[in-house]
Amino acid sequence: MVKTLNLKTPVVESREQRLGTVISWTGKASELVKESAYSKGCGECTLCELGNPFTQGSTCSEQMVECQAGHVREAVLIQHAPIGCAAGQVAYNSLYRNGLQNRHKPVENIRVICTNLQEKDMVFGGVDKLRQSIIDAWERYHPKAIFIGTSCATAIIGDDIDSVASEFTDSLNIPVVPMHCEGFRSKHWSTGFDSTQHGILRQIVKHNPKKQEDLVNVINLWGSDVFTPMLAELNLRVNYVIDLASVDDLAQMSEAACTIGFCNTLSSYLATGLEQEFGVPEIKAPMPYGFKGTDAWLREIGRVTHREELVEKYIAKKHAEVKPKIEELKKKLKGLKGISATGSAYSHGLISVMRELDVESNGVLVFHHDPIYDSGDPRQDSLSQLVDNYGDVPSFNVSNRQQYQFYILLKKYRPDFIIIRHNGLAPLASRMGIPAVPLGDEHLAVGYDGMVHVGEIILDVIAHTKFHKDLAAHVKLPYSKWWLEQDDPYILSKNSDLIYQE
Amino acid sequence: MSKKLKKIAIYGKGGIGKSTTTSNISAALVESGYKVLQFGCDPKSDSTNTLRNGKYIPTVLDLLRQKQKVDAHEAIFEGFKGVYCVEAGGPSPGVGCAGRGIITAVELLKQQNIFEELDLDFVIFDVLGDVVCGGFAVPIREGIAEHVFTVSSSDFMSVYASNNLMKGIKKYSNSGGALFGGIIANSINSPYQKSIIDDFVDKTSTQVIEYVPRSITVTQAELSGHTTIEAAPESKQANIYRNLANKIATHTESRVPAPLETDELREWSAKWADQLLAVESGEIRGTGSNI
Repeated sequence: MVKTLNLKTPVVESREQRLGTVISWTGKASELVKESAYSKGCGECTLCELGNPFTQGSTCSEQMVECQAGHVREAVLIQHAPIGCAAGQVAYNSLYRNGLQNRHKPVENIRVICTNLQEKDMVFGGVDKLRQSIIDAWERYHPKAIFIGTSCATAIIGDDIDSVASEFTDSLNIPVVPMHCEGFRSKHWSTGFDSTQHGILRQIVKHNPKKQEDLVNVINLWGSDVFTPMLAELNLRVNYVIDLASVDDLAQMSEAACTIGFCNTLSSYLATGLEQEFGVPEIKAPMPYGFKGTDAWLREIGRVTHREELVEKYIAKKHAEVKPKIEELKKKLKGLKGISATGSAYSHGLISVMRELDVESNGVLVFHHDPIYDSGDPRQDSLSQLVDNYGDVPSFNVSNRQQYQFYILLKKYRPDFIIIRHNGLAPLASRMGIPAVPLGDEHLAVGYDGMVHVGEIILDVIAHTKFHKDLAAHVKLPYSKWWLEQDDPYILSKNSDLIYQE
Repeated sequence: MSKKLKKIAIYGKGGIGKSTTTSNISAALVESGYKVLQFGCDPKSDSTNTLRNGKYIPTVLDLLRQKQKVDAHEAIFEGFKGVYCVEAGGPSPGVGCAGRGIITAVELLKQQNIFEELDLDFVIFDVLGDVVCGGFAVPIREGIAEHVFTVSSSDFMSVYASNNLMKGIKKYSNSGGALFGGIIANSINSPYQKSIIDDFVDKTSTQVIEYVPRSITVTQAELSGHTTIEAAPESKQANIYRNLANKIATHTESRVPAPLETDELREWSAKWADQLLAVESGEIRGTGSNI
């Protein structure tokens, strides 16, 4: 394969640089497919990003390192940063503890240390503090790996984190892995996923592996264990990475028979890197959502791991088991409208699931859009597959979690519910009388059972619509009268002078 | 294609003649048939001007400012006899962070495998040499340049800048950074100037790679937008640059320098000040007496 990822340098290339990522766009899904075609070598780039005159809250690549590298068992993450970057530790500790509990592992706290850089460190350099923190981490925990997350502050003063990491990799005889994840480096936080995965590919994954022909890398977050029983039917074992994995789990990724994921946004870099550097095939198929996606995904796993027969048996069994349930659910869900607001590829999957359930889903808000994924393989083009298999999405909106835009989308489409993974969007919907289906467990929608789970949870959630309607009747939204009357979420992007009006 | 790429950084205090020297080295190397890329790391972005008829080129950071997705190839321009010219660029004086500019520009070229792709013999970084922050130290870190040279005259501030650079190199030398190749002694026209530099390299366990005299030929060439190698190829000065380029091309062993501590440097310069004063007032004291 053509090498698309450059693992020679410790600094990951940003998503926009590798994939042409955009964070603001609006139109039909079919138009976005057309405009993204340039990334596959079809003519000049026609994907025009809308500029936003301001951003109302976002997140940061550094936090993605925190939520991945900070959740590796037997490792320590050092945030080489001023203390503000450590604000996320509380939330990530709760996710880590809950995740461990869900996976039946001993519950423990995250092991994240912040170097707490201050004025004098900015002036005189912070590497001595970093050295001290590495020594402290080693003495306190004797970890199997130490990750170092950089920050805007250290990148501007030019602290030489790579050299310090190399020095301690030698002296401690464990991988000390720098991860360059400054917030300003990329316009979208998902570069932080790539930064973590880049460091792990460079320094943790075993070279010259012994192959384990029944091992499958599953790139995920903290979701419940739905893959083990599913893959067990194919005589395959699961190696969950990166969150909640041990350092040894990460190291053995090169021994696996293949790599799969639940969302191309998250798994793109690592899966492609494992194939490029270690020959572990990435399953290049639609994502496992809805019948069509799950069928194709399983068949590709079967082909790559030589388990075609087992796969066909499993597909037939699950179709027979799930179809009647879905028919029942469809009756109850008839006439409902839903809008998903999640990460990019994940929403492509969720819309497929809603459409399998006959739930109307004509609007979506995704946090960014990658015109292509790292493999460059058309079999992973989840947006095209959504349009081809389930039809167009008339209101497809790319917005990096901008609530003021989401408000107009909700106002226009008046859905019966929203599906989200990030809690911050639920209160807005609630205040508009719309309940939220919170997929904190990202695996809930995966596979055949995923359709049933999503159908059931929608029914659970719409059962308390009245609560949200009551709430809406008693709260006032924080927007001006002018904004409340608008119909186009992107009116400010198209005409930024409007924000200066009286 | 597996030839060994030699990565060199040339530092020097602003205005000391570092870009002039670097461009002449690049010109001499391409003249000898080598494939060379000169990478200007100074926000003034004029390192490669004399390799391109005095013209400025768009910088890497200009591209970053204008485009969503940067193709580093667009920042590479050919100059005299096919030498590749790149300017990192940087912010206007007084705003932003020039050091970060260097980090960003160097990273971008590394990520896009430019040096390997062009199948080069030499990459020469021409860096503003006051090493005022981590960004200006990027070329001397692990994996960027292997050999560092500094352009210095015998003026105290220039020697001070060279000493600072040596401190930076010493710091990074334990972690796989570049080592010190030597001083290119510039504007050396009299024995006392030579003596000062010789004494400094002796005290810091380094060496002088070449003595380059100040010459009107260089000024004339520069004013016409060319290197001396191009404008006055037959001149004595051009041959001095050719010698220098040859020494750099064949240079293999760089070392960890022993920079002077601030107090030592002060004492050292005070001693030279006394000596020069004594010589000026007619006292005869050996070295440097024949100013």
